[in-house]
Amino acid sequence: MSNFERTGDLFSLDLTIDEAHILINLVEQLLELLGEGDFFHHYDADDPFAALMSMQQEVVTPDDPVLMRLLPNAYADPEAASDFRRFTESTIRSHKQRILREVRTHLAILVDDEKSGTVPDLDADTWLVALNDLRLALSVRLEIDEESFELFESLPDEDPQKSIYAVYYWLGWLQENLLHLL
Amino acid sequence: MNEEKSGSSFGGVDTLTDIDAALHELLDRPWTCIVWDDPVNLMSYVVFVFKKIFGFSQERAHELMLLVHNEGRAVVASGSREEMERYVQRLHEHGLWATLQRDDKI
Repeated sequence: MSNFERTGDLFSLDLTIDEAHILINLVEQLLELLGEGDFFHHYDADDPFAALMSMQQEVVTPDDPVLMRLLPNAYADPEAASDFRRFTESTIRSHKQRILREVRTHLAILVDDEKSGTVPDLDADTWLVALNDLRLALSVRLEIDEESFELFESLPDEDPQKSIYAVYYWLGWLQENLLHLL
Repeated sequence: MNEEKSGSSFGGVDTLTDIDAALHELLDRPWTCIVWDDPVNLMSYVVFVFKKIFGFSQERAHELMLLVHNEGRAVVASGSREEMERYVQRLHEHGLWATLQRDDKI
């Protein structure tokens, strides 16, 4: 069972190899959605999460609802929002990419060895933000609202959506777990 | 002097001072940074982000988080447009849904 641990100021995360695969797949797909595709991908083309992030179906545009959630308008006024975007969006994008790249590097150590294990010496802030962005991205695809948890619990196990909801709630659990250690 | 100031029924110094302060406020701190509620961000994460970005105490951050949660939105900072834009940028970097607007109070 995955778990963050803290020793003094150092944080680590125990992951099974399956969990590491799920995380790195999501991280890589989000990186690609944010416009960074120049790296080796650990996920298969038929990975169910690839479809979820809709990487294969459409060209990434700023109209993508996930991107709109990760890079929302700063002003109600469209003109002011567009100006703000012109001056800051690339900075915010780079910030998110940098964080996801760092998490990906940690995860790749486990995934490339095909072994369950510990991600050592991780930066808690970086992981909190990364887990949050992954949850935001999934939430848009799953159309998460206040009633979603009940829906998730009522879904039969054979429903393919169920495992995706399960990952979404697992990420929330992980994030909460890390927040408690701060 | 005290009596003169506070006792005047014509308004006097106190009222002028208030207007002056209000104008000062309007000119000097006319923008607000607003955080909106969403069903995804964990309450504890929002508190963490508020403390990190604004340097709030645990109590203040928690209070504002609850305001966002219960009211659907809350003003978390006010000041110059540039300052508020920087806050909004950092809030977006952390995945919170934030906007800025001119403070329409006063």
